[in-house]
Amino acid sequence: MKTLLDALRSRATWRWLGTGALLLMLSPCADAAMLQEAVDLPNRWGPNPSASDYGWRYDELFTLITILISVSFAIMLILLVLPMIRDRARAGHKASFDHGSSLFDKRFTATVSVIVFIVLDAWVLVIAVRDLREGYWNIPTELEGAYRVEVLAQQWSWNFRATGLDGEFGTADDVITINDLTVPQDRPVVFNLTSKDVIHSLYVPDMRMKRDANPGAVNQAWFQPITAGDFAILCAELCGFAHYQMGAQLHVLSPEDFGAWEQDASMIAVAGFDPEDTEAQWAWDWKE
Amino acid sequence: MLRHRRPRGRLLPLAVAVILAAPLATAGSLSAFVDDEDGGELDPAKRHLRAPHDVSFEITDDDRLLAAGEDWAEVLFPRLDAEFPGRFSFDDDAEVWSDNRGEYVWDDDEEVYWQNVSAETLTRGRQDYVQFCASCHGLDGDGYGRSAQALRPPPRDFSQGLFKFTKVSPDYLPSDDALVHLIQEGLDGTPMFPWDVAEPRLRDVVQYIKSMSPEDEGWRDSTNDFGDPIDVGEDPWVGDIPAAVAEGERLYHANGCYNCHPGYLGAVAINAIQDKPADTAFRENITIPKRVEDSSYEVLGESVDIMVPDFTWHTMRRGRTPQDVARTIKAGIQGAGMPTWETFPDKTIWAIAHYVRHLTDEYHGQPAKRAAFMADVRAGH
Ligand SMILES: [Cu+2]
Repeated sequence: MKTLLDALRSRATWRWLGTGALLLMLSPCADAAMLQEAVDLPNRWGPNPSASDYGWRYDELFTLITILISVSFAIMLILLVLPMIRDRARAGHKASFDHGSSLFDKRFTATVSVIVFIVLDAWVLVIAVRDLREGYWNIPTELEGAYRVEVLAQQWSWNFRATGLDGEFGTADDVITINDLTVPQDRPVVFNLTSKDVIHSLYVPDMRMKRDANPGAVNQAWFQPITAGDFAILCAELCGFAHYQMGAQLHVLSPEDFGAWEQDASMIAVAGFDPEDTEAQWAWDWKE
Repeated sequence: MLRHRRPRGRLLPLAVAVILAAPLATAGSLSAFVDDEDGGELDPAKRHLRAPHDVSFEITDDDRLLAAGEDWAEVLFPRLDAEFPGRFSFDDDAEVWSDNRGEYVWDDDEEVYWQNVSAETLTRGRQDYVQFCASCHGLDGDGYGRSAQALRPPPRDFSQGLFKFTKVSPDYLPSDDALVHLIQEGLDGTPMFPWDVAEPRLRDVVQYIKSMSPEDEGWRDSTNDFGDPIDVGEDPWVGDIPAAVAEGERLYHANGCYNCHPGYLGAVAINAIQDKPADTAFRENITIPKRVEDSSYEVLGESVDIMVPDFTWHTMRRGRTPQDVARTIKAGIQGAGMPTWETFPDKTIWAIAHYVRHLTDEYHGQPAKRAAFMADVRAGH
């Protein structure tokens, strides 16, 4: 206790602590300022509010992990900094040095590790698995009113194909769009994803959804938009030179707007359908 | 204290095995792409499956491309004032013009200038081409790269020497500037996005693309001529856009744009504009755009159909402003059924451009509003 008080009285201690604290405080400010300038984000710290039905799962888990690691980090910092102050060399005191290899140290380390693992990792793992089973892996079927979209990724664009009014893939009224996806609000939107060339990843941050598109395989993903509006679709897998430019627009329309859209989109698709152009009919059998 | 040390060399045989096996495995997986029995020739339908084995090859010969035809003076003389002005010289009695962009040799027989494109330029252009363009346009520029399958409209086949949106009047090859601008601006609604690659590199890519013209075609055809993007002058409707839109609506329907694009007025209104009896009939489904059959777009030798844009629905490829639209109207779209409207006065073209842009601004991306508008139009037929 006395050594701690000594340390707290020393000007050097405060100089170092102050500098460290200042740097820690400044670094996120600098990052945020640069980000603000680069992408003209609205002025806030967190991610965009979730626009999907299961988005709260992601947000909750993210917050929990952030709190857990922040607390652990603070404890670790105290455990590191205290001995540095207590055992440092000073007048009348030689710096002590310890390998931490005594039996007590080993037992202490092992106990702390096990507790940290059980409390933190297992806790997070249990929630994550529950989220996967109840949310991300619980893919709604067509019968449950899913709006189905086949996604064909390529360097460096997204090809989307929806069934149109007839509810079947590979027909004349399939609505095919490039880098532009329109979906209904309050209905599950289910994706079948694959790629023409390399691995891409369909990433819709506002919906808290991300899924790889692999050549030669069909992956599934889904979300249910709860807010109408325009959102960004990105590619989250480095896929070549123009990866950073590989994006698309997601339009979530209210049920009435979507009805009007689907009607018109199907009609125009039928008008533009070229039956002889077999290569353009790339739909595959839907994978539930 | 004893120090335990892992005996050296225990992992050596394993390391040697891995090092030896790696190239063999790679060669094995590549052989799936290269059909050796046919001397490397693949079934044309599987051309996109070729491994990019020749990515790094270096071009060793200079190329000779058409630089300027009869209008050569227009192309070369403005450069006299450029930052690095060029100069004439005589080399083996041939007249040579050189400036910062290259060397041009006068051909007395054909009466054209040829441009000597250096092997280094072409190699640099090829390297960027392979990195940026080949995934869609193909390693050979045939418009059928690995990522081009099923893409509609298909990527440009560079061996055709034909471009849709360079905004150069038909019968002319686009100038280098026109091609560079197209690459920089991109084509909206397609995977051809605005490429933010440094301009000197784009110029090299453009040279390489030009060198893909087959013998006696495109940039190897001395009878060809060049054009810069067409000029539509200043907007004559500045300050009175609503009048331009109203006039544009009249002109759009007076000139039969609805024969391919949709009509956006009822039958009575269109017939009134055209001074025809009110019950004159129009093409079927006049509110739905037409499909152009037998366009110049080819995939594996077969022409594919192209959809004419509906301005309330589709994204215009290169029509972000009324000026862009006006230039497209004046230049026409080669190979896609859109004729040139060069004979129209600029004021007419600008009015139609304002009207078309107005349709897009008003209804594009607004499904309910658009549906109501089109239902109104449909009710009038
Ligand atoms: Cu990607």
